[in-house]
Amino acid sequence: METRMEDAMEKTNVRYCLKCGKCTGSCPLARVNPEYSPRQMVERATLGFKDRVLRSKGVWWCLTCRLCSERCPQDVRYPDFIRACRAEAASLGVEHRCAHGDMLAELQRAMTVPRLKQNRLGWIPKKASVSTKGDLLYFVGCLPYFDAIMEKVKPDSIAIGQSVIQVLNSSGITPAVMPNERCCGHDLLWTGDTESFEKLARLNMEEIRKTGAKTVVFSCPEGYRTFKLDYADILGELPFEVLHTSELFSKLIDEGKLKFSQKINRKVVYHDPCRLGRHMRVFDSPRKVLSSIPGIQLVEMGRSRAEAMCCGVDAWMCNSNSKQMQVERLQEAKMSGADMLVTTCPKCQIHFRCVMNEKLPKAVFPVPDEAKIEVADLSELVAKALGS
Amino acid sequence: MDEKPSVLVIGGGVAGIQVSTDLANRGLQVYLVEKLTSIGGRMAQFDKTYPTLDCSICILAPKMIDCFRHPNIKVLSYSEVKKVSGKAGDFTVEVLRKPRYVDEARCTGCGQCAEKCPKKIPNEWEFSMADRKAIYMPFPQAVPRLMTIDPQNCLYLTKGICRVCEKFCQAKAIDFSQKPETVKIRVASIVLATGFDMLNPSKITEYGYGKYKNVITSLEFERLICASGPTGGHLVRPSDHAKPKRVAFILCVGSRDVKEGMMYCSNVCCLYSAKDAILVKEHEPDVDVVIFYTDLRAYSKGSREFIDRAISDYGIKYVRGRPGEVREDPDIKSLTIWYEDTLSRKVEKLQADLVVLSTACVPSSDAQELAKTLGLELDEYGFFRVADPLYAPLDTTVPGVYACGFCTGPKDISDSVAQASGVAAKAAEVVVAASKGSKTAGMKGG
Repeated sequence: METRMEDAMEKTNVRYCLKCGKCTGSCPLARVNPEYSPRQMVERATLGFKDRVLRSKGVWWCLTCRLCSERCPQDVRYPDFIRACRAEAASLGVEHRCAHGDMLAELQRAMTVPRLKQNRLGWIPKKASVSTKGDLLYFVGCLPYFDAIMEKVKPDSIAIGQSVIQVLNSSGITPAVMPNERCCGHDLLWTGDTESFEKLARLNMEEIRKTGAKTVVFSCPEGYRTFKLDYADILGELPFEVLHTSELFSKLIDEGKLKFSQKINRKVVYHDPCRLGRHMRVFDSPRKVLSSIPGIQLVEMGRSRAEAMCCGVDAWMCNSNSKQMQVERLQEAKMSGADMLVTTCPKCQIHFRCVMNEKLPKAVFPVPDEAKIEVADLSELVAKALGS
Repeated sequence: MDEKPSVLVIGGGVAGIQVSTDLANRGLQVYLVEKLTSIGGRMAQFDKTYPTLDCSICILAPKMIDCFRHPNIKVLSYSEVKKVSGKAGDFTVEVLRKPRYVDEARCTGCGQCAEKCPKKIPNEWEFSMADRKAIYMPFPQAVPRLMTIDPQNCLYLTKGICRVCEKFCQAKAIDFSQKPETVKIRVASIVLATGFDMLNPSKITEYGYGKYKNVITSLEFERLICASGPTGGHLVRPSDHAKPKRVAFILCVGSRDVKEGMMYCSNVCCLYSAKDAILVKEHEPDVDVVIFYTDLRAYSKGSREFIDRAISDYGIKYVRGRPGEVREDPDIKSLTIWYEDTLSRKVEKLQADLVVLSTACVPSSDAQELAKTLGLELDEYGFFRVADPLYAPLDTTVPGVYACGFCTGPKDISDSVAQASGVAAKAAEVVVAASKGSKTAGMKGG
């Protein structure tokens, strides 16, 4: 299914590039990394310097945040082109660097083993109502692993999953959950390991089939995108509806099934994750849910919705540029006057928390106080407002 | 109306004026229908023209007057073509004449009424950078020189009070009893010269038009720099009316853009922005001017020289790169432009006080309806489709109906005028054939 570089040049409109540079003028990474320019990558590709592109660091630097293609006048789908380049580069044996010693990628690959038996559900509170079968399946994603692997950052990702289940329960839904759920394969797909991605996709689909789910809900925009676009791409139309929690919550509010009993007197600002926003065009649901929570005052950053700035990391490929971008984004959040940054992506949250915990020497990279703000997931706020 | 062999011209801009005058000079009867209260079109809105830097209205106004006063031309301003029947050689056209509530025979255009009128509203001619009254003349050189009452805003016509204009009009020209009137005319051929609109760039959100006060369009700039414009020609930025230190022009905003639907080059922006930049320098030599371009398309004779002069004589800086975004500093309302200089291959930011967007020129908003009325085909962008781009560039898809100027695709003034004269010959052929009684001659391919 994955197209290789030359094929991708046709399919992603790279050949139509005007070399106008609007991409690079938009790219958040190009502003902090003078060696990186999407336009120059495309230019090299169209001039025939294929090897130079495939062996460049730029292929791995791209955040795939899609801001460039959002604005490209020729509709060059640069992140898709980059993904194809990564697949080809990986097949040539080009190595990319990943934070956490590639541990996450190896863990994801381990999940491609069919006979693997996991018990991923130890974090679900005893009083919660869940099942192994049902109309609505909650695809939890990596949350439980994050808490274990990124202990230092204190991601508290489990709280997101627990909140989602709490919200579903209080609106009368007993969600199905899968003890042997696999990684969705998002990171492997975006780092060139298409083979493992396909294995994961098939294993997950088989597992979901057993639950009888008609709707699968995701609290992670990456899983949401991966199922809705990338699974559908290799497996055809999915036999179930795919929803992000923000969309489901919004629906439940419309149906009168979410009754908020607690006031949350906070001024919050919403950070659009790239995958949910620009990739999947879900901009309104999270805002609608936030606005319907009593007491919450929702404000916006200068760069929001389709203009939103990326959290600075793609598939855990983090570096000092990422940190710089994260600080900038946090400062922007603080400048909006909000006292809490709400997002709908567990990874964005981890990246923001991580940089705020950063203990680098001030001279190398100071994290100023005006970049420190409380960060939370939408699900947590919704759960809190429901009381219980 | 009389049965003299006639031609209908739709659109009273520079092209429509040229067609009408050419035909009239041949002794043919012309009906020129203009939807606004004055003829003149876009060119009347421009400050200067390129590459000669002539005052636009100064060269256009005599043509407007000649056209209006020509014994063979009947100008039907503030009117719209509503119905067309018949065929080449014998069309019957219904034209709706909207009421001005002002007696055309009596009004002298003195403007006393407008001075006294209590109702102020944003002036669309000045893109709301100034106000006008409910009784108004769009611009001082308007032809016909007549006042018009805007029925949506007149206090008497909306609330039944006021009538102040009536009291002060010495010519006794105010006539609230006027009603819309439909006139029927018979013509042998029809010419379209309906011009263009400009893309509203607010949906290209990264440039902040509509959100940031100091981001304006190039057409707004024309009014801003024009001596008869809202600031009397003083170059100021809209947020605080302060003189800008740096003005930046961004080209290809919506043009050559598959997403906005305008894959085509708008043809005129490279040159008019060089002209605009020169105007900034002529008004305020110490203001810094930067033009962001994608490709310089200065292809006709004298064009490249014009841009070279902008660079060498006026010190205008050209940067190759379409900026990624424009951001406003909310405190000082200055703008930061992020871009890649694609020649030096560096990502940089530039501070500017005023950003002018050269937006795509798009088909006129009523082209679609007019196409329906006349049974014409439109092209994929909504311009009138020509019968053959090479051999019949002035013929539409309906015999006896011709088109010239911007309404068939981007063209500058000189090309539009050249086409207008060409189209006059085509339209006259039908008239001559019709008046000789041979209803088919001269209509081949038309």
